[in-house]
Amino acid sequence: MKNKKQLLIAVLIGLGFVVLPLLIEGYWIRVISSIFMYGVVTGALNIIAGFAGYAAFGNVVFFGIGAYSTAMLMLRVGFPWWGGCVIGAILAAFFAVVVGFPVLRLRGHYFAIATLGINRAVEQIALDWGSFTGGGKGITLPLPQMEIQSFYAMIYFILFGLLLLTLLTNFVIARGRLGYALRAIRDDEDAAEASGIFAPSCKVIAWAISAFITGLAGGVFAYWFSFIEPATVFDIMIAVKAFVMMMLGGAGTVMGPVLGAFLLELISETVWGQFLTIHMLILGTIVIGVVIFIPRGMLHLFRQRFSLSALIRNIKNQSI
Amino acid sequence: MQTNPIGRSEKALVLQVLLNGIFLGAIYANIAVGFSLAWGVMDVINVAHGTMIVMGSFVTFFLFKYIGIDPFLSIPFSMAVLFLIGYFAQRYLLNLVVKVGIFLSLILTFGLDLVFINAVLLIFTGDYRSVTPSYSGSNFQVGGINVPYIRLATLGICILLTGLLQLFLTRTRTGNAIRATAQNRQAAEIVGVNVARIYSVTLGVSAALAGACGSLISMVQSFTPFEGGFFIMKAFIICVLGGLGNVYGAMIGGVLLGLVETTGARILGTGFQEAISAIIMILVLIFMPKGIVGSKYK
Repeated sequence: MKNKKQLLIAVLIGLGFVVLPLLIEGYWIRVISSIFMYGVVTGALNIIAGFAGYAAFGNVVFFGIGAYSTAMLMLRVGFPWWGGCVIGAILAAFFAVVVGFPVLRLRGHYFAIATLGINRAVEQIALDWGSFTGGGKGITLPLPQMEIQSFYAMIYFILFGLLLLTLLTNFVIARGRLGYALRAIRDDEDAAEASGIFAPSCKVIAWAISAFITGLAGGVFAYWFSFIEPATVFDIMIAVKAFVMMMLGGAGTVMGPVLGAFLLELISETVWGQFLTIHMLILGTIVIGVVIFIPRGMLHLFRQRFSLSALIRNIKNQSI
Repeated sequence: MQTNPIGRSEKALVLQVLLNGIFLGAIYANIAVGFSLAWGVMDVINVAHGTMIVMGSFVTFFLFKYIGIDPFLSIPFSMAVLFLIGYFAQRYLLNLVVKVGIFLSLILTFGLDLVFINAVLLIFTGDYRSVTPSYSGSNFQVGGINVPYIRLATLGICILLTGLLQLFLTRTRTGNAIRATAQNRQAAEIVGVNVARIYSVTLGVSAALAGACGSLISMVQSFTPFEGGFFIMKAFIICVLGGLGNVYGAMIGGVLLGLVETTGARILGTGFQEAISAIIMILVLIFMPKGIVGSKYK
């Protein structure tokens, strides 16, 4: 009974987003498209960071690889945008596998720093290899041959589809063998290995899936904005925002990260628009607040029925 | 003897490059010593350390421009200001999550970083700033090698500060408590160390070192509120190279990075320099995870 009700609500919300573009104007279509995009990036991050507990701060590197592959394939080979996106995503996943085997051996801070270093190295290569990538000046993609309104509507539905794909992937992983293996690794990697989980390949598969989805999002981003530069698509702030969204919603859950993306992006669009000069201050304060007050996410808070005493108890338990 | 277009002998040029490498390395070491202290003692990666350095630069800039205090004399002020910022950030924010694990503290410092950058931006705007005392361009020559006074003094102060930190950690009561907490937090608590206070002092000292570093850097290059990311990347590389949580590790890693960068730029040109040092860091992480010096605070 309860499951049926939840399914009904989910279908209704989904249908709502399908008819929404008929009701809203260009600005809000853009806002909701960007919420979808962050939902995709956050959902992808959730696979490696939420389930497996590996703090992949440099995950944005796959976003950049997807974006640049799409741009290069469209410009230099003449691919259609979707071909570029898919190949870019495959390249990102391949890259995750290649660097994953050595780097995923590192634990804790060392892994986080290694991924930051990888992101930095790839960004710098995109910057310095100007003859191929356009360098710091950035690169302009071929403009779409259609009316601008219908183009934005198309992007809206592409990103919505990607978001559904991300949710489905998260759902399948959470219920399947891989999800159990990853959660076991997160809780105690040595114990997981002792009980027969081959951790290296589980982690690499999880990271590759995460990279594939992030790469798709990067490709669509490149097509959508039709101009990319290293500083935007390798921006570490994308990963930081994704982390905060994931924690805000609830790391390691299926719906949580997407919920977090909706909340934070909506706040950012409605509140920051009014305070241009202090928007980093507000984001920073939100980050600090989320980390201290709701580190286990809104979903967890919801299950505890927003009890204040539980909140205080949590803070007391985690502080020294 | 061969001479290059500027008319200096090849040998003098090599020496000059090496000396520049050491001068750069001294600043790098100073960037990393404080960062590695927080990491080694509390297992906190303070991403805001880079912006703390920038804040030190701005303290010096403010004192120099509006009050007319010599940049070298402003070092104690920026250390004091940053000590307070670090102390209270740890006391009232980081201490609330530091026990749970790396995820939370790492993201919390990202949030702090954003707040700090925005605060500096509001006070000083985003313009490029520089601190130029009357002696800023002057230098002397030894055997065809240029030695700028400021760089030499910077090297001296870096060595002095590192020595003082080492003395503080090994000779004082608080320093011993810090090292005990680094070794085993629970055991330290059992023997009566107030861990919450020690952690706050540790981040305060770490931030004070960042402040001193910022004051020194303000004299050798111009800066904006957004420079922190560059410093933090250097700190990562140095800590990984030199090994974690060890004053000498940061020192050696810093000088090594300085030498590698200046000689690399001389031989290969400046392109891809950042990419190469990031790749070196990843390789060292994979193959020598303990770094060159290794070992935690003992």
